[in-house]
Amino acid sequence: MAITFEKVNYEYDANSMWGQAALQGVNLHLESGVLAGIAGATGSGKSTLLQMFNGILKPTSGTVRVLDITLRGGEKAPKLHQLRKRVGLVFQFPEQQLFEDTVEKDLCFGPINFGCSMDEAKDRARSAMEKMGLDVSLLSRNPFQLSGGQMRKVAIASVLAMDPEILVLDEPTATLDPVSRAELIQLLHRLCREEGRTVIIVTHRMDELLPFANQWVILHEGRTVFQGTVKALIEQADQMEAYGIVIPQSIRYWRAISEKFGLSGEDPCLSAEAMSKRIAQLVNSEDV
Amino acid sequence: MFQRELIGPHYTSNAFEESVRNPSVNSSKCSPAIELVGVSYGYAKKDLPVINDITFSIPQGQWVALVGANGCGKSTLVKLMNALLPKGEGTIKVKGLELQSDTIGEIRKTIGMVFQNPDNQFIGATVEDDIVFGLEGQCLSIEVMEERVKSYAAKLGIADLLDKHPSELSGGQKQRVAIASILSMEPEVVIFDEASSMLDEKTRNDLLNILSDMHKSGRYTIISITHDAQEIAASERVLVLQEGKLIADRTPTELFQDEKILEMSHVIAPFAFQLTTELHKYGLDISIPNCEKELTEALWPLHLRK
Repeated sequence: MAITFEKVNYEYDANSMWGQAALQGVNLHLESGVLAGIAGATGSGKSTLLQMFNGILKPTSGTVRVLDITLRGGEKAPKLHQLRKRVGLVFQFPEQQLFEDTVEKDLCFGPINFGCSMDEAKDRARSAMEKMGLDVSLLSRNPFQLSGGQMRKVAIASVLAMDPEILVLDEPTATLDPVSRAELIQLLHRLCREEGRTVIIVTHRMDELLPFANQWVILHEGRTVFQGTVKALIEQADQMEAYGIVIPQSIRYWRAISEKFGLSGEDPCLSAEAMSKRIAQLVNSEDV
Repeated sequence: MFQRELIGPHYTSNAFEESVRNPSVNSSKCSPAIELVGVSYGYAKKDLPVINDITFSIPQGQWVALVGANGCGKSTLVKLMNALLPKGEGTIKVKGLELQSDTIGEIRKTIGMVFQNPDNQFIGATVEDDIVFGLEGQCLSIEVMEERVKSYAAKLGIADLLDKHPSELSGGQKQRVAIASILSMEPEVVIFDEASSMLDEKTRNDLLNILSDMHKSGRYTIISITHDAQEIAASERVLVLQEGKLIADRTPTELFQDEKILEMSHVIAPFAFQLTTELHKYGLDISIPNCEKELTEALWPLHLRK
Protein backbone atom coordinates (compact mmCIF):
# COMPACT_ATOMS: atom_id res chain seq x y z
CA MET A 1 0.00 0.00 0.00
CA ALA A 2 1.53 3.32 -1.02
CA ILE A 3 -0.73 5.67 0.90
CA THR A 4 -3.21 5.05 3.68
CA PHE A 5 -5.16 7.69 5.58
CA GLU A 6 -7.22 6.78 8.62
CA LYS A 7 -9.69 9.31 9.98
CA VAL A 8 -7.39 12.15 9.15
CA ASN A 9 -8.38 15.63 10.25
CA TYR A 10 -6.46 18.72 9.41
CA GLU A 11 -7.11 22.20 10.75
CA TYR A 12 -5.31 25.33 9.69
CA ASP A 13 -4.30 27.34 12.78
CA ALA A 14 -5.47 24.45 14.91
CA ASN A 15 -4.41 26.09 18.16
CA SER A 16 -6.10 29.42 17.65
CA MET A 17 -9.76 30.36 17.79
CA TRP A 18 -9.64 30.93 14.05
CA GLY A 19 -8.91 27.29 13.40
CA GLN A 20 -10.41 26.18 10.14
CA ALA A 21 -11.01 22.54 9.31
CA ALA A 22 -9.67 21.70 5.87
CA LEU A 23 -9.90 17.91 6.05
CA GLN A 24 -12.39 15.98 8.13
CA GLY A 25 -12.26 12.26 8.78
CA VAL A 26 -10.49 11.45 5.55
CA ASN A 27 -9.96 7.77 4.81
CA LEU A 28 -7.88 6.92 1.80
CA HIS A 29 -6.20 3.82 0.38
CA LEU A 30 -4.00 4.02 -2.66
CA GLU A 31 -2.06 0.95 -3.80
CA SER A 32 1.47 1.16 -5.16
CA GLY A 33 1.66 1.60 -8.91
CA VAL A 34 -1.75 3.19 -9.46
CA LEU A 35 -2.50 6.26 -11.52
CA ALA A 36 -4.97 8.10 -9.34
CA GLY A 37 -6.99 11.22 -10.07
CA ILE A 38 -8.15 13.55 -7.32
CA ALA A 39 -11.05 15.84 -8.17
CA GLY A 40 -13.20 18.26 -6.24
CA ALA A 41 -14.53 21.80 -6.41
CA THR A 42 -12.37 24.78 -5.45
CA GLY A 43 -11.84 24.79 -1.70
CA SER A 44 -12.66 21.11 -1.24
CA GLY A 45 -9.27 20.38 0.35
CA LYS A 46 -7.35 18.95 -2.62
CA SER A 47 -4.20 20.97 -2.06
CA THR A 48 -4.25 20.33 1.68
CA LEU A 49 -4.50 16.60 1.06
CA LEU A 50 -1.66 16.78 -1.42
CA GLN A 51 0.66 18.44 1.06
CA MET A 52 0.15 15.61 3.53
CA PHE A 53 1.58 13.08 1.12
CA ASN A 54 5.12 14.12 1.91
CA GLY A 55 4.73 15.59 5.34
CA ILE A 56 4.61 19.29 4.53
CA LEU A 57 1.43 19.30 6.58
CA LYS A 58 0.94 16.85 9.44
CA PRO A 59 -2.45 15.57 10.54
CA THR A 60 -4.14 17.34 13.45
CA SER A 61 -5.56 13.94 14.35
CA GLY A 62 -5.72 10.54 12.68
CA THR A 63 -3.02 8.52 10.97
CA VAL A 64 -1.25 9.08 7.68
CA ARG A 65 0.86 6.21 6.33
CA VAL A 66 2.96 6.91 3.28
CA LEU A 67 5.18 4.00 2.14
CA ASP A 68 6.65 2.75 5.44
CA ILE A 69 6.48 6.06 7.29
CA THR A 70 3.67 6.81 9.70
CA LEU A 71 2.54 10.22 10.87
CA ARG A 72 0.09 10.38 13.74
CA GLY A 73 -1.84 13.43 14.79
CA GLY A 74 -0.56 14.89 18.06
CA GLU A 75 2.69 12.92 18.00
CA LYS A 76 6.14 14.15 17.15
CA ALA A 77 6.82 13.42 13.49
CA PRO A 78 9.63 11.01 12.58
CA LYS A 79 12.50 12.20 10.39
CA LEU A 80 10.98 13.19 7.08
CA HIS A 81 14.11 13.33 4.96
CA GLN A 82 13.48 9.87 3.47
CA LEU A 83 9.82 10.61 2.88
CA ARG A 84 10.59 13.77 0.95
CA LYS A 85 13.09 11.92 -1.18
CA ARG A 86 10.64 9.18 -2.02
CA VAL A 87 7.56 11.31 -2.61
CA GLY A 88 8.00 13.98 -5.26
CA LEU A 89 5.54 16.85 -5.15
CA VAL A 90 4.93 19.04 -8.18
CA PHE A 91 2.96 22.16 -7.29
CA GLN A 92 0.76 24.26 -9.53
CA PHE A 93 2.81 26.28 -11.99
CA PRO A 94 5.98 24.29 -11.29
CA GLU A 95 7.87 26.49 -13.76
CA GLN A 96 7.85 29.12 -11.02
CA GLN A 97 10.19 26.94 -8.99
CA LEU A 98 12.96 26.98 -11.61
CA PHE A 99 15.82 29.17 -10.46
CA GLU A 100 19.20 28.07 -11.81
CA ASP A 101 20.90 29.52 -14.88
CA THR A 102 20.98 26.26 -16.79
CA VAL A 103 18.46 23.46 -17.06
CA GLU A 104 21.11 20.94 -15.98
CA LYS A 105 21.93 22.77 -12.73
CA ASP A 106 18.24 23.00 -11.96
CA LEU A 107 17.78 19.28 -12.45
CA CYS A 108 20.87 18.41 -10.37
CA PHE A 109 19.81 20.53 -7.41
CA GLY A 110 17.45 17.95 -5.91
CA PRO A 111 19.66 14.85 -6.29
CA ILE A 112 22.72 16.67 -4.88
CA ASN A 113 20.72 17.79 -1.86
CA PHE A 114 19.75 14.21 -1.25
CA GLY A 115 23.39 13.12 -1.33
CA CYS A 116 24.15 12.18 -4.94
CA SER A 117 27.58 12.82 -6.45
CA MET A 118 27.79 15.39 -9.24
CA ASP A 119 28.26 12.69 -11.88
CA GLU A 120 25.33 10.67 -10.66
CA ALA A 121 23.18 13.80 -10.48
CA LYS A 122 24.06 14.60 -14.09
CA ASP A 123 23.14 11.09 -15.17
CA ARG A 124 19.82 11.42 -13.43
CA ALA A 125 19.21 14.82 -15.00
CA ARG A 126 19.81 13.34 -18.42
CA SER A 127 17.48 10.40 -17.88
CA ALA A 128 14.76 12.60 -16.36
CA MET A 129 14.89 14.78 -19.48
CA GLU A 130 14.49 11.73 -21.68
CA LYS A 131 11.57 10.47 -19.62
CA MET A 132 9.79 13.78 -20.04
CA GLY A 133 10.36 13.63 -23.78
CA LEU A 134 12.71 16.61 -23.74
CA ASP A 135 15.77 16.91 -25.94
CA VAL A 136 18.98 16.58 -23.88
CA SER A 137 20.44 19.49 -25.84
CA LEU A 138 18.21 21.72 -23.72
CA LEU A 139 20.34 20.88 -20.65
CA SER A 140 22.77 23.69 -21.34
CA ARG A 141 20.03 26.24 -21.99
CA ASN A 142 18.76 28.86 -19.60
CA PRO A 143 15.41 27.52 -18.31
CA PHE A 144 13.81 30.96 -18.60
CA GLN A 145 14.30 30.97 -22.35
CA LEU A 146 12.17 27.89 -22.86
CA SER A 147 8.53 27.94 -23.91
CA GLY A 148 5.84 27.59 -21.25
CA GLY A 149 5.22 23.93 -22.05
CA GLN A 150 8.94 23.12 -21.99
CA MET A 151 9.43 24.92 -18.69
CA ARG A 152 6.60 22.91 -17.20
CA LYS A 153 8.18 19.66 -18.37
CA VAL A 154 11.65 20.67 -17.11
CA ALA A 155 10.16 21.46 -13.71
CA ILE A 156 8.51 18.05 -13.56
CA ALA A 157 11.80 16.48 -14.72
CA SER A 158 13.56 18.20 -11.81
CA VAL A 159 11.29 16.31 -9.43
CA LEU A 160 11.71 13.07 -11.40
CA ALA A 161 15.50 13.43 -11.13
CA MET A 162 15.12 12.67 -7.42
CA ASP A 163 13.74 9.31 -8.53
CA PRO A 164 10.64 9.38 -6.30
CA GLU A 165 8.51 6.28 -5.85
CA ILE A 166 5.39 8.40 -5.62
CA LEU A 167 4.86 11.38 -7.88
CA VAL A 168 2.14 13.82 -6.87
CA LEU A 169 1.12 16.65 -9.21
CA ASP A 170 -1.23 19.56 -8.57
CA GLU A 171 -3.00 20.45 -11.82
CA PRO A 172 0.01 19.77 -14.01
CA THR A 173 -1.84 20.65 -17.22
CA ALA A 174 -3.44 23.97 -16.24
CA THR A 175 -2.74 26.77 -18.76
CA LEU A 176 -1.10 24.41 -21.27
CA ASP A 177 -2.67 24.16 -24.69
CA PRO A 178 -4.81 21.05 -25.24
CA VAL A 179 -2.25 19.16 -27.32
CA SER A 180 0.54 19.76 -24.78
CA ARG A 181 -1.93 18.72 -22.07
CA ALA A 182 -2.66 15.41 -23.74
CA GLU A 183 1.08 14.79 -24.25
CA LEU A 184 1.85 15.46 -20.61
CA ILE A 185 -0.88 13.12 -19.38
CA GLN A 186 0.46 10.39 -21.66
CA LEU A 187 3.99 10.90 -20.31
CA LEU A 188 2.73 10.57 -16.75
CA HIS A 189 0.75 7.50 -17.71
CA ARG A 190 3.93 5.97 -19.14
CA LEU A 191 5.86 6.65 -15.90
CA CYS A 192 3.17 4.76 -14.07
CA ARG A 193 2.81 1.87 -16.51
CA GLU A 194 6.41 1.27 -17.51
CA GLU A 195 8.27 2.19 -14.34
CA GLY A 196 5.69 1.18 -11.78
CA ARG A 197 5.66 4.57 -10.10
CA THR A 198 2.59 5.65 -8.20
CA VAL A 199 1.28 8.80 -9.89
CA ILE A 200 -1.34 10.99 -8.23
CA ILE A 201 -2.81 13.88 -10.18
CA VAL A 202 -5.08 16.60 -8.87
CA THR A 203 -7.19 17.85 -11.73
CA HIS A 204 -10.01 20.17 -12.71
CA ARG A 205 -10.34 18.50 -16.05
CA MET A 206 -11.46 14.97 -15.41
CA ASP A 207 -12.09 14.39 -19.11
CA GLU A 208 -8.44 14.26 -20.07
CA LEU A 209 -7.45 11.92 -17.25
CA LEU A 210 -10.44 9.56 -17.39
CA PRO A 211 -9.06 7.21 -20.05
CA PHE A 212 -5.87 6.71 -18.02
CA ALA A 213 -6.58 6.83 -14.29
CA ASN A 214 -7.51 3.57 -12.59
CA GLN A 215 -8.45 5.12 -9.25
CA TRP A 216 -10.46 8.24 -8.45
CA VAL A 217 -10.84 10.20 -5.27
CA ILE A 218 -13.45 12.93 -4.97
CA LEU A 219 -13.29 15.48 -2.21
CA HIS A 220 -16.15 17.65 -1.06
CA GLU A 221 -15.85 20.13 1.78
CA GLY A 222 -12.82 18.38 3.24
CA ARG A 223 -14.26 14.87 3.12
CA THR A 224 -13.59 12.00 0.75
CA VAL A 225 -17.02 11.42 -0.76
CA PHE A 226 -15.89 8.93 -3.35
CA GLN A 227 -13.01 6.55 -3.77
CA GLY A 228 -12.85 3.75 -6.30
CA THR A 229 -12.52 2.75 -9.91
CA VAL A 230 -13.73 4.62 -12.95
CA LYS A 231 -16.49 2.08 -13.32
CA ALA A 232 -17.80 2.78 -9.82
CA LEU A 233 -17.42 6.50 -10.48
CA ILE A 234 -19.64 6.29 -13.54
CA GLU A 235 -22.31 4.47 -11.56
CA GLN A 236 -22.35 7.28 -9.05
CA ALA A 237 -21.88 10.09 -11.54
CA ASP A 238 -25.22 11.70 -10.70
CA GLN A 239 -23.86 12.70 -7.33
CA MET A 240 -20.97 14.61 -8.85
CA GLU A 241 -23.06 17.72 -9.43
CA ALA A 242 -23.83 17.88 -5.73
CA TYR A 243 -20.08 17.93 -5.12
CA GLY A 244 -19.66 20.91 -7.41
CA ILE A 245 -18.18 18.91 -10.28
CA VAL A 246 -19.52 18.99 -13.81
CA ILE A 247 -20.08 15.48 -15.15
CA PRO A 248 -17.47 14.97 -17.90
CA GLN A 249 -18.80 14.64 -21.45
CA SER A 250 -17.18 11.25 -21.99
CA ILE A 251 -19.00 9.86 -18.96
CA ARG A 252 -22.31 11.29 -20.16
CA TYR A 253 -21.95 9.72 -23.57
CA TRP A 254 -20.73 6.38 -22.26
CA ARG A 255 -23.60 6.16 -19.82
CA ALA A 256 -26.17 6.89 -22.53
CA ILE A 257 -24.68 4.26 -24.82
CA SER A 258 -24.30 1.61 -22.16
CA GLU A 259 -27.92 2.10 -21.06
CA LYS A 260 -29.26 1.93 -24.58
CA PHE A 261 -27.19 -1.06 -25.59
CA GLY A 262 -27.11 -2.81 -22.23
CA LEU A 263 -23.38 -2.59 -21.53
CA SER A 264 -23.57 -1.76 -17.84
CA GLY A 265 -21.32 -4.69 -16.83
CA GLU A 266 -18.55 -3.67 -19.18
CA ASP A 267 -15.38 -1.71 -18.54
CA PRO A 268 -16.07 1.81 -19.77
CA CYS A 269 -14.53 3.15 -22.99
CA LEU A 270 -13.92 6.81 -22.29
CA SER A 271 -11.76 8.08 -25.12
CA ALA A 272 -13.42 9.02 -28.42
CA GLU A 273 -11.35 6.32 -30.16
CA ALA A 274 -12.28 3.53 -27.78
CA MET A 275 -15.92 4.55 -27.57
CA SER A 276 -16.42 4.75 -31.32
CA LYS A 277 -14.72 1.38 -31.76
CA ARG A 278 -17.15 -0.14 -29.27
CA ILE A 279 -20.10 1.56 -30.96
CA ALA A 280 -18.99 0.29 -34.36
CA GLN A 281 -18.87 -3.24 -32.97
CA LEU A 282 -22.38 -2.88 -31.59
CA VAL A 283 -23.93 -1.26 -34.62
CA ASN A 284 -22.25 -3.49 -37.18
CA SER A 285 -22.72 -6.75 -35.30
CA GLU A 286 -25.10 -9.20 -36.96
CA ASP A 287 -26.16 -11.17 -33.95
CA VAL A 288 -28.29 -8.83 -31.88
CA MET B 1 -26.07 63.62 -19.07
CA PHE B 2 -24.38 61.80 -21.82
CA GLN B 3 -23.00 59.43 -19.20
CA ARG B 4 -26.49 58.85 -17.83
CA GLU B 5 -27.51 57.35 -21.10
CA LEU B 6 -24.77 54.80 -20.84
CA ILE B 7 -25.67 53.57 -17.40
CA GLY B 8 -28.59 51.31 -18.27
CA PRO B 9 -28.37 47.54 -17.92
CA HIS B 10 -26.42 47.01 -21.07
CA TYR B 11 -26.42 43.40 -21.42
CA THR B 12 -30.07 42.75 -21.15
CA SER B 13 -32.13 41.98 -24.22
CA ASN B 14 -33.09 45.58 -24.97
CA ALA B 15 -29.51 46.78 -24.76
CA PHE B 16 -29.05 46.79 -28.48
CA GLU B 17 -31.83 49.36 -29.05
CA GLU B 18 -30.15 51.51 -26.50
CA SER B 19 -26.88 51.43 -28.33
CA VAL B 20 -28.62 52.48 -31.51
CA ARG B 21 -29.95 55.53 -29.73
CA ASN B 22 -26.51 56.25 -28.43
CA PRO B 23 -24.85 58.59 -30.91
CA SER B 24 -21.29 57.59 -30.10
CA VAL B 25 -21.94 53.98 -30.97
CA ASN B 26 -24.02 54.88 -33.97
CA SER B 27 -21.48 57.12 -35.66
CA SER B 28 -18.81 54.45 -35.68
CA LYS B 29 -21.09 51.67 -36.87
CA CYS B 30 -19.91 51.86 -40.43
CA SER B 31 -16.26 51.08 -39.62
CA PRO B 32 -15.21 47.71 -38.19
CA ALA B 33 -14.45 47.49 -34.49
CA ILE B 34 -10.93 46.26 -35.16
CA GLU B 35 -9.03 46.39 -38.40
CA LEU B 36 -5.47 45.14 -38.89
CA VAL B 37 -3.52 45.57 -42.11
CA GLY B 38 -0.12 43.96 -42.58
CA VAL B 39 0.73 43.97 -38.88
CA SER B 40 4.15 42.54 -37.95
CA TYR B 41 6.02 42.66 -34.68
CA GLY B 42 9.25 41.30 -33.22
CA TYR B 43 10.45 41.63 -29.64
CA ALA B 44 14.06 42.06 -30.66
CA LYS B 45 15.32 43.11 -34.05
CA LYS B 46 17.43 40.03 -34.63
CA ASP B 47 14.67 37.61 -33.68
CA LEU B 48 12.11 36.26 -36.07
CA PRO B 49 8.90 38.27 -36.02
CA VAL B 50 6.46 37.03 -33.37
CA ILE B 51 3.63 38.45 -35.44
CA ASN B 52 4.03 38.11 -39.15
CA ASP B 53 2.03 40.18 -41.65
CA ILE B 54 -1.46 39.80 -40.21
CA THR B 55 -4.51 41.30 -41.86
CA PHE B 56 -8.12 40.92 -40.71
CA SER B 57 -11.09 42.97 -39.64
CA ILE B 58 -13.70 42.34 -36.99
CA PRO B 59 -17.13 43.93 -37.35
CA GLN B 60 -18.79 45.55 -34.34
CA GLY B 61 -20.60 43.03 -32.15
CA GLN B 62 -18.78 39.92 -33.34
CA TRP B 63 -17.44 37.28 -30.94
CA VAL B 64 -14.09 36.04 -32.13
CA ALA B 65 -12.02 33.24 -30.63
CA LEU B 66 -8.28 33.56 -31.15
CA VAL B 67 -6.59 30.18 -30.94
CA GLY B 68 -3.20 28.56 -31.47
CA ALA B 69 -0.45 26.62 -29.69
CA ASN B 70 1.39 28.03 -26.66
CA GLY B 71 3.81 30.67 -27.88
CA CYS B 72 2.22 31.31 -31.29
CA GLY B 73 1.76 35.04 -30.68
CA LYS B 74 -1.87 35.33 -29.54
CA SER B 75 -1.19 37.49 -26.52
CA THR B 76 1.31 39.60 -28.42
CA LEU B 77 -1.29 40.28 -31.09
CA VAL B 78 -3.96 41.53 -28.71
CA LYS B 79 -1.45 43.58 -26.74
CA LEU B 80 -0.60 45.40 -29.95
CA MET B 81 -4.26 46.36 -30.38
CA ASN B 82 -4.31 48.66 -27.36
CA ALA B 83 -0.65 49.62 -27.41
CA LEU B 84 0.48 47.61 -24.42
CA LEU B 85 3.37 46.85 -26.75
CA PRO B 86 5.08 49.47 -28.90
CA LYS B 87 3.88 49.80 -32.46
CA GLY B 88 5.35 47.43 -35.03
CA GLU B 89 4.80 47.44 -38.76
CA GLY B 90 1.42 47.80 -40.45
CA THR B 91 -1.68 49.69 -39.34
CA ILE B 92 -4.17 48.96 -36.60
CA LYS B 93 -7.52 50.75 -36.57
CA VAL B 94 -9.97 50.61 -33.70
CA LYS B 95 -13.45 51.87 -34.56
CA GLY B 96 -11.96 53.56 -37.59
CA LEU B 97 -9.34 55.39 -35.57
CA GLU B 98 -5.74 54.57 -36.46
CA LEU B 99 -3.52 53.60 -33.53
CA GLN B 100 -0.81 56.25 -33.19
CA SER B 101 0.89 57.90 -30.27
CA ASP B 102 -1.77 60.64 -30.11
CA THR B 103 -4.73 58.24 -30.29
CA ILE B 104 -3.56 55.71 -27.67
CA GLY B 105 -5.65 57.33 -24.92
CA GLU B 106 -8.81 57.26 -26.99
CA ILE B 107 -8.25 53.68 -28.11
CA ARG B 108 -7.49 52.35 -24.64
CA LYS B 109 -10.86 53.75 -23.53
CA THR B 110 -12.50 51.65 -26.23
CA ILE B 111 -10.73 48.38 -25.41
CA GLY B 112 -10.97 46.54 -22.11
CA MET B 113 -8.75 43.58 -21.30
CA VAL B 114 -9.27 40.71 -18.89
CA PHE B 115 -6.18 38.63 -18.22
CA GLN B 116 -5.55 35.03 -17.31
CA ASN B 117 -4.74 35.57 -13.67
CA PRO B 118 -7.11 38.04 -11.97
CA ASP B 119 -4.59 38.46 -9.15
CA ASN B 120 -2.38 40.32 -11.57
CA GLN B 121 -4.93 43.04 -12.16
CA PHE B 122 -6.10 43.66 -8.63
CA ILE B 123 -5.27 47.13 -7.35
CA GLY B 124 -7.85 48.03 -4.73
CA ALA B 125 -8.00 46.92 -1.10
CA THR B 126 -11.65 46.02 -1.54
CA VAL B 127 -13.68 44.85 -4.50
CA GLU B 128 -15.44 48.22 -4.65
CA ASP B 129 -12.14 50.14 -4.66
CA ASP B 130 -10.96 47.96 -7.42
CA ILE B 131 -13.93 48.71 -9.64
CA VAL B 132 -13.75 52.40 -8.80
CA PHE B 133 -10.06 52.64 -9.69
CA GLY B 134 -10.72 52.42 -13.41
CA LEU B 135 -13.66 54.80 -13.17
CA GLU B 136 -11.61 57.41 -11.32
CA GLY B 137 -9.10 57.17 -14.12
CA GLN B 138 -11.88 58.20 -16.48
CA CYS B 139 -12.66 61.25 -14.30
CA LEU B 140 -16.33 60.39 -13.83
CA SER B 141 -18.52 62.10 -11.24
CA ILE B 142 -19.19 60.36 -7.95
CA GLU B 143 -22.84 59.75 -8.80
CA VAL B 144 -21.95 58.10 -12.07
CA MET B 145 -19.31 55.97 -10.38
CA GLU B 146 -21.70 54.82 -7.68
CA GLU B 147 -24.31 53.98 -10.25
CA ARG B 148 -21.86 51.98 -12.33
CA VAL B 149 -20.45 50.05 -9.39
CA LYS B 150 -23.98 49.16 -8.37
CA SER B 151 -25.21 48.11 -11.76
CA TYR B 152 -22.16 46.11 -12.85
CA ALA B 153 -21.75 44.42 -9.47
CA ALA B 154 -25.37 43.31 -9.73
CA LYS B 155 -24.92 42.07 -13.28
CA LEU B 156 -21.93 39.93 -12.38
CA GLY B 157 -23.42 38.70 -9.13
CA ILE B 158 -20.77 40.24 -6.89
CA ALA B 159 -22.93 42.81 -5.08
CA ASP B 160 -22.40 40.95 -1.80
CA LEU B 161 -18.65 40.99 -2.20
CA LEU B 162 -18.09 44.73 -2.58
CA ASP B 163 -16.55 45.12 0.90
CA LYS B 164 -14.30 42.08 0.67
CA HIS B 165 -10.55 42.05 0.30
CA PRO B 166 -9.45 40.32 -2.89
CA SER B 167 -7.70 37.57 -0.90
CA GLU B 168 -11.05 36.50 0.55
CA LEU B 169 -12.39 35.60 -2.87
CA SER B 170 -12.26 32.34 -4.78
CA GLY B 171 -10.68 32.20 -8.24
CA GLY B 172 -14.04 32.40 -9.99
CA GLN B 173 -15.16 35.36 -7.87
CA LYS B 174 -11.91 37.18 -8.56
CA GLN B 175 -12.39 36.70 -12.27
CA ARG B 176 -15.93 38.14 -11.98
CA VAL B 177 -14.56 41.17 -10.14
CA ALA B 178 -11.93 41.65 -12.84
CA ILE B 179 -14.65 41.52 -15.49
CA ALA B 180 -16.89 43.91 -13.55
CA SER B 181 -13.97 46.36 -13.26
CA ILE B 182 -13.44 46.26 -16.99
CA LEU B 183 -17.11 46.38 -18.05
CA SER B 184 -17.89 49.26 -15.70
CA MET B 185 -15.57 51.40 -17.80
CA GLU B 186 -17.94 50.58 -20.66
CA PRO B 187 -15.50 49.55 -23.33
CA GLU B 188 -16.87 48.61 -26.73
CA VAL B 189 -14.26 45.94 -27.37
CA VAL B 190 -13.46 43.44 -24.63
CA ILE B 191 -10.48 41.14 -24.92
CA PHE B 192 -10.26 38.03 -22.75
CA ASP B 193 -6.71 36.67 -22.65
CA GLU B 194 -7.16 33.05 -21.50
CA ALA B 195 -9.48 34.31 -18.80
CA SER B 196 -10.94 30.84 -18.26
CA SER B 197 -7.81 28.74 -18.18
CA MET B 198 -7.26 28.93 -14.43
CA LEU B 199 -10.87 28.30 -13.50
CA ASP B 200 -12.46 24.99 -12.64
CA GLU B 201 -15.08 23.46 -14.89
CA LYS B 202 -18.04 24.99 -13.07
CA THR B 203 -16.72 28.53 -12.88
CA ARG B 204 -15.62 28.16 -16.47
CA ASN B 205 -19.23 27.55 -17.44
CA ASP B 206 -20.26 30.64 -15.47
CA LEU B 207 -17.73 32.71 -17.39
CA LEU B 208 -19.03 31.30 -20.64
CA ASN B 209 -22.54 32.41 -19.68
CA ILE B 210 -21.26 35.91 -18.97
CA LEU B 211 -19.60 36.02 -22.39
CA SER B 212 -22.78 34.76 -24.07
CA ASP B 213 -24.88 37.39 -22.32
CA MET B 214 -22.45 40.09 -23.33
CA HIS B 215 -22.56 38.88 -26.90
CA LYS B 216 -26.35 38.69 -27.02
CA SER B 217 -26.60 42.30 -25.89
CA GLY B 218 -24.95 43.27 -29.18
CA ARG B 219 -23.07 45.98 -27.41
CA TYR B 220 -19.65 44.37 -27.21
CA THR B 221 -17.13 43.17 -29.71
CA ILE B 222 -15.46 40.22 -28.00
CA ILE B 223 -12.07 38.73 -28.69
CA SER B 224 -11.27 35.73 -26.54
CA ILE B 225 -7.95 33.97 -26.54
CA THR B 226 -8.70 30.45 -25.50
CA HIS B 227 -7.91 26.75 -25.74
CA ASP B 228 -11.28 25.72 -24.37
CA ALA B 229 -13.36 23.77 -26.88
CA GLN B 230 -16.66 24.93 -25.39
CA GLU B 231 -15.65 28.54 -25.49
CA ILE B 232 -14.54 28.23 -29.09
CA ALA B 233 -17.79 26.48 -29.98
CA ALA B 234 -19.82 29.34 -28.50
CA SER B 235 -18.03 32.01 -30.53
CA GLU B 236 -18.97 33.10 -34.05
CA ARG B 237 -15.61 33.06 -35.72
CA VAL B 238 -12.23 31.51 -35.06
CA LEU B 239 -8.88 33.00 -36.03
CA VAL B 240 -6.05 30.49 -35.90
CA LEU B 241 -2.47 31.65 -35.39
CA GLN B 242 0.58 29.55 -36.01
CA GLU B 243 4.05 30.91 -35.46
CA GLY B 244 2.79 34.45 -35.79
CA LYS B 245 0.86 33.89 -39.00
CA LEU B 246 -2.88 33.83 -39.49
CA ILE B 247 -3.46 30.36 -40.95
CA ALA B 248 -7.23 30.05 -40.78
CA ASP B 249 -10.32 32.21 -40.39
CA ARG B 250 -13.49 30.13 -40.13
CA THR B 251 -16.52 29.16 -38.07
CA PRO B 252 -16.07 26.92 -35.02
CA THR B 253 -17.87 24.02 -36.73
CA GLU B 254 -15.60 24.26 -39.77
CA LEU B 255 -12.58 24.29 -37.48
CA PHE B 256 -13.67 21.27 -35.45
CA GLN B 257 -14.23 19.24 -38.60
CA ASP B 258 -10.85 20.03 -40.12
CA GLU B 259 -8.34 17.68 -38.52
CA LYS B 260 -5.38 19.33 -40.18
CA ILE B 261 -6.11 22.83 -38.91
CA LEU B 262 -7.08 21.43 -35.51
CA GLU B 263 -3.70 19.82 -35.23
CA MET B 264 -1.90 22.98 -36.29
CA SER B 265 -3.88 25.10 -33.85
CA HIS B 266 -3.34 22.67 -30.94
CA VAL B 267 -7.07 22.68 -30.32
CA ILE B 268 -8.91 19.53 -29.31
CA ALA B 269 -12.50 19.40 -30.55
CA PRO B 270 -15.41 18.94 -28.12
CA PHE B 271 -16.08 15.30 -27.29
CA ALA B 272 -19.12 15.06 -29.56
CA PHE B 273 -17.06 16.22 -32.57
CA GLN B 274 -14.25 13.80 -31.77
CA LEU B 275 -16.71 10.97 -31.51
CA THR B 276 -18.39 11.83 -34.81
CA THR B 277 -15.02 12.02 -36.57
CA GLU B 278 -13.97 8.66 -35.12
CA LEU B 279 -17.29 7.02 -35.97
CA HIS B 280 -16.90 8.24 -39.54
CA LYS B 281 -13.73 6.13 -39.76
CA TYR B 282 -15.88 3.06 -39.07
CA GLY B 283 -18.29 4.06 -41.81
CA LEU B 284 -20.89 5.37 -39.39
CA ASP B 285 -22.03 8.79 -40.50
CA ILE B 286 -24.15 10.69 -38.04
CA SER B 287 -24.61 14.42 -37.57
CA ILE B 288 -22.85 15.95 -34.60
CA PRO B 289 -25.00 15.32 -31.53
CA ASN B 290 -25.83 18.18 -29.18
CA CYS B 291 -26.29 15.83 -26.28
CA GLU B 292 -25.92 12.16 -25.46
CA LYS B 293 -29.59 11.48 -26.22
CA GLU B 294 -29.17 12.66 -29.80
CA LEU B 295 -26.26 10.28 -30.18
CA THR B 296 -28.14 7.20 -29.06
CA GLU B 297 -31.13 8.23 -31.17
CA ALA B 298 -28.90 8.53 -34.22
CA LEU B 299 -27.25 5.19 -33.54
CA TRP B 300 -30.32 3.15 -32.77
CA PRO B 301 -31.79 2.99 -36.29
CA LEU B 302 -28.32 2.09 -37.66
CA HIS B 303 -28.25 -0.71 -35.12
CA LEU B 304 -31.74 -1.98 -36.00
CA ARG B 305 -30.96 -1.93 -39.69
CA LYS B 306 -28.70 -4.94 -39.27
